[in-house]
Amino acid sequence: MPELMTPPLHPLPLPLPPRLALRAGASASLPLLMAVVPFGVICGASAASIGLSFAQAWALSWMVFAGSAQIVATQLLASGAPAWVIVLTGWVVNLRFMMYSAALAPHFRQRSRIGRWLGAYLLTDQAFAVTLGRIADGREQRETAWFYLGLSLTTWLFWQVASIAGILLGSFIPASWSMDFVVALTFIALLAPLLGDRLMRIAAVVGGAVALAPQLPFKLNLIAAALCGAGAALLLEKLWTPPTSGRSS
Amino acid sequence: MDATYVWPIILTLALVTFVTRLSFLGLLAHVHLPNLLRRTLAYVPPAIIAAIIAPQVFPASAAGLPMLDWPRLIAALLAFAVAFRTRSTLATVSIGMLALWSMQALFRG
Repeated sequence: MPELMTPPLHPLPLPLPPRLALRAGASASLPLLMAVVPFGVICGASAASIGLSFAQAWALSWMVFAGSAQIVATQLLASGAPAWVIVLTGWVVNLRFMMYSAALAPHFRQRSRIGRWLGAYLLTDQAFAVTLGRIADGREQRETAWFYLGLSLTTWLFWQVASIAGILLGSFIPASWSMDFVVALTFIALLAPLLGDRLMRIAAVVGGAVALAPQLPFKLNLIAAALCGAGAALLLEKLWTPPTSGRSS
Repeated sequence: MDATYVWPIILTLALVTFVTRLSFLGLLAHVHLPNLLRRTLAYVPPAIIAAIIAPQVFPASAAGLPMLDWPRLIAALLAFAVAFRTRSTLATVSIGMLALWSMQALFRG
């Protein structure tokens, strides 16, 4: 993306020293915790409810550290899917991180290898979205990495606490409460903001329909849904966009 | 659950997730993300999230076919309306669950 060199209408904010950028990131994470904490509790509770040990359930939260993939892996583990399908499906769910990684890369180019690896480990939807908003504000690139670190570390900490609470709670919830539906509702909250774009809606409708098709072998339904949903959106994007117009987005 | 099956899955998933996150930050730091790949990656989340939701709203019958479950469908539609309006996970989950429980009580009684 080319940087426009037009002078800003208002003076750009001065770069913050690392300590203050770190703190600004931590405070920016607070509004996100309303979404992060319930999701973490649900992930922990689902993992505990299928009979994983505390160590296994928590390992999902601190080693994988990706709520949607944790939920999907949990559901597939409970359904007895083959190991390779569980890993492959979890990976497809996490493919979006590649897109985030590419968008953040310019702001980490000057950082050490440890800084980049730590940044990668802590990458989440929330940390990415808020950092991108900050980048759009025209802040110094140098402080972006520190801001991101404060933001993502706080998110990580709350995710762990919420997961542990969920793991401890999970084994006590009676089946008659239909708590599995909480997972569907959490994903409804994740899906709604994505549906502003027509092609994103098509990807969702096709993906949902494919998931309802009679069980595919090896529980490959989610993989098939991702392939068909994204494929349909790409195809229609091609059909609907006149070939000569230079689409930039 | 069988630990010899669960631990390798968790460890492998953790590793591939980390490598995916690291991709352009570390390993491919000087590679530009191709436009087609970027757009494909953008379409995967709505497809897969909808695929996670759908079987919970239309649970499978014994024959493996999706069934119409009115309490779940009504609660899910209401939750969508709340999610669009409030963008709040907490509000979506609480109103959705309250709707499900009341609909279940209503349809049973």
